[in-house]
Amino acid sequence: MSNLAVSLPARAPRLDQPSPLDKPDAPQRRIEIVSTRSQRMAKPRPFYALVAISGLFVIFMVQLLLSIVVSDGAYQISSLQNQQADLVRSEQSLGEKVDLLASTQSLATKAESLGMVLSGSAPAFLDLADGSVVGESSDTGASATGVLNATGSLVPNSLLELSGDDATVTTEDAAANAAAVAATAAEDANAEAISVAGAPEAEATTGSVASTTTTDVVPTDTAPTATDPVTPGGLPSPVTQ
Amino acid sequence: MNNSRKAKRRMTLAIFGLLAVISLFVGRLVDIQVVQADQLNEASADKRSIGVTTYGVRGDIVDTNGVALADSVERYDITASPKNSITSTGTFTRTIDGEQVTSTRDELIEELADATGETAASIKASLDANPESDFAYVAKKTTLAVRTAVRELHIGWVTTQLNPDRTYPLGAVAGNLVGFIGTDGPQAGLELSANSCVASTNGTQTYERGADGVRLPGSTVTTKDAIDGGTLKLTIDSDFQWFVQQAIAEQAETIGAKWATAVVVRVSDGHLMAVADYPSVDPNDVNGVGVESLGSLAFSTPYEPGSTFKAMTAAMLIDAGKINQTTPISAPPYLSVGGGIIKDVFSHGTMQWTTTGVLVNSSNIGISILSEKLSAAKREKYMRAFGLGEKTAVDFNGESPSPLRSSDDWDPITEKAVAFGQGVTATSVQVASIYQTLGNDGVKMPLTLVEGCEMPDGTVTDLPDTEGTQVVSKDAANDTVEMLENVVTQGSLTAQLTIEGYNIAAKTGTAQVAKTNGVGYGTDRVVSVAGLISGDDPQYAVVVTYGNPTTIKTSAAAAPTFKKIMTQIIKTFRVTPSTQSVPDLPATW
Repeated sequence: MSNLAVSLPARAPRLDQPSPLDKPDAPQRRIEIVSTRSQRMAKPRPFYALVAISGLFVIFMVQLLLSIVVSDGAYQISSLQNQQADLVRSEQSLGEKVDLLASTQSLATKAESLGMVLSGSAPAFLDLADGSVVGESSDTGASATGVLNATGSLVPNSLLELSGDDATVTTEDAAANAAAVAATAAEDANAEAISVAGAPEAEATTGSVASTTTTDVVPTDTAPTATDPVTPGGLPSPVTQ
Repeated sequence: MNNSRKAKRRMTLAIFGLLAVISLFVGRLVDIQVVQADQLNEASADKRSIGVTTYGVRGDIVDTNGVALADSVERYDITASPKNSITSTGTFTRTIDGEQVTSTRDELIEELADATGETAASIKASLDANPESDFAYVAKKTTLAVRTAVRELHIGWVTTQLNPDRTYPLGAVAGNLVGFIGTDGPQAGLELSANSCVASTNGTQTYERGADGVRLPGSTVTTKDAIDGGTLKLTIDSDFQWFVQQAIAEQAETIGAKWATAVVVRVSDGHLMAVADYPSVDPNDVNGVGVESLGSLAFSTPYEPGSTFKAMTAAMLIDAGKINQTTPISAPPYLSVGGGIIKDVFSHGTMQWTTTGVLVNSSNIGISILSEKLSAAKREKYMRAFGLGEKTAVDFNGESPSPLRSSDDWDPITEKAVAFGQGVTATSVQVASIYQTLGNDGVKMPLTLVEGCEMPDGTVTDLPDTEGTQVVSKDAANDTVEMLENVVTQGSLTAQLTIEGYNIAAKTGTAQVAKTNGVGYGTDRVVSVAGLISGDDPQYAVVVTYGNPTTIKTSAAAAPTFKKIMTQIIKTFRVTPSTQSVPDLPATW
């Protein structure tokens, strides 16, 4: 149904008959076009338009603000991540130092400089289950040797040297004491070997064989092949045919 | 004029206008998205998105207690953009401590040189090498301290990059086993052979960056994940390994030995507790030793072992039912064999020895007579069953199988000589494996160095083989071990080898070394002691060997180290004293 105000076409006045509306003394009537009730209800209000537009506006503003906050958050995140990365790096670096100080060479050298000694004999054991002592420690302290002896640490750790830690035996006394102990031990061993008549060691003299046979007695093996990046050299002992 | 027709014309015009504008835009769109797409993508890609390498971490190599023998550390490359270091004015403004500082390029290079430790000349050279490029190295693999110093200079055209490096915190401890990394990758040892376990793969990531270097949120794309390497766990105890290395090094220097090895095996499962070499490489300083010491002599270099083989010969003869511990023989002063003579180390008349006596006195003649009871072919078969002539189960990088000649090729002297370990070669680990077998009721366990490889996701691979082979019978092995205990209680090195409260089984060996340039043996010796601890239930086998000593040429040189290592085994592995005493076996009849 059309919403337009409709004006009905005026009837053409009949000339032969007086119109029923045509009264001789009736006053002039004005005709207004008035919208129906439903048409009035259907008219768009400016208020709602304003609300809609401003609502849209608000949405855009909020979006803008949110993206500003997110970007700001990104900077914060970045800065915190940098901090975290720095801390992780420091931790790594300190962890390296700790590993180095905990290395066996470092501990041995420090123990030596503190005057600690190695017990030369087997220990006794305390059984925690029943408190009994197993074995007998025959250690009188006489067989104690220095941790490193006079030779110092013979298992090098170049990382320690680079970091400035002293990897060699420090105190004079410790070295001297250790040297004395080592010397007596070596002497003992030598004395034993010489005093016992005919130390029973294997010694097949195949010198005579050598002169008579032409083939080598010894089966051979050379060092590993060239396919390995590292070829540990052969010992001077059994040699190739 | 009709209003509606006017209206219709206006509308048509409007629609046509609209269509024209739309088609303009569509055309432009097609042009950009389809026609010029690739070109534009390329041109824009490096203008805004940055690709970075994310580094995977190479896996650690740890000992049986988790102590790291090899691990990865962070190092930093200092890089510069030569292109950006050349400006029209030649000066740069930086903000340091809130103040604006202007410096010339040369001043900045000086400061860089101070911070990194490089010379200003070399930095200038690398920057001037290619002025158009965006990338040049200033310093490589620097520490965190250097990186921090460089960053504090706030030089706009200098950046730092992560570049992980490998360190060996324990230095030369187990350096012979762990190996090392060279410029092209792993070069030796487990770093090379177990590379598939510990190697990492790098990943890539791209992200978009704002003008001030901040990552745009949501723009990080990981195109490839970095994969870390797995952790390789060894059977070695690092503190014990250090002790053994230090012990053999001390004694080797005292007696003037050219090389030395020591191998300690746990008898029950064949796990290696320590494999020590002298000289031994420090993987942090590979140039510190000669090329021949970069690997592990214990695995790679066979030698004639000498009398330590007598124990194996006795065990195989007992197992074959040919002899027992008290089988009597008469040993003449010398034995004439196929044109050669076999002698003992001390001269004697005809001696009446039992098998035990032959071992206690380490008589070559005695063991040769005993070995006649078993054919050469059968003895070769036993020797192969003991693991001679093939690599151990470790299959170490560069390990030698120490080939064993077929018994058909043995000449009459060799037939006898193999019984006392001459005329045949073995590596230190093979000798250790023999003693492990004897201690384990005759069951040879596969020698194991690697306990497993734990990948980052938790799966464990490379688990060792646990199947043993019965080489000789339990009785044969135990009888042999009892005889070896008597070698310690009755032999000449009793004082050096006895440990109060413990049953030690040991066999000494002084082997002749063949001449390098001719036939026959020279005056050099390889001295060794091989044995087991806690005789009634042997737990650890130890073999100590010194090659070409100059001051002491008998196995008395190796005995003190053997005892020292045994004592340390007692302490480290908590070996309680033996409960049974050594049965006293007759050496003569």
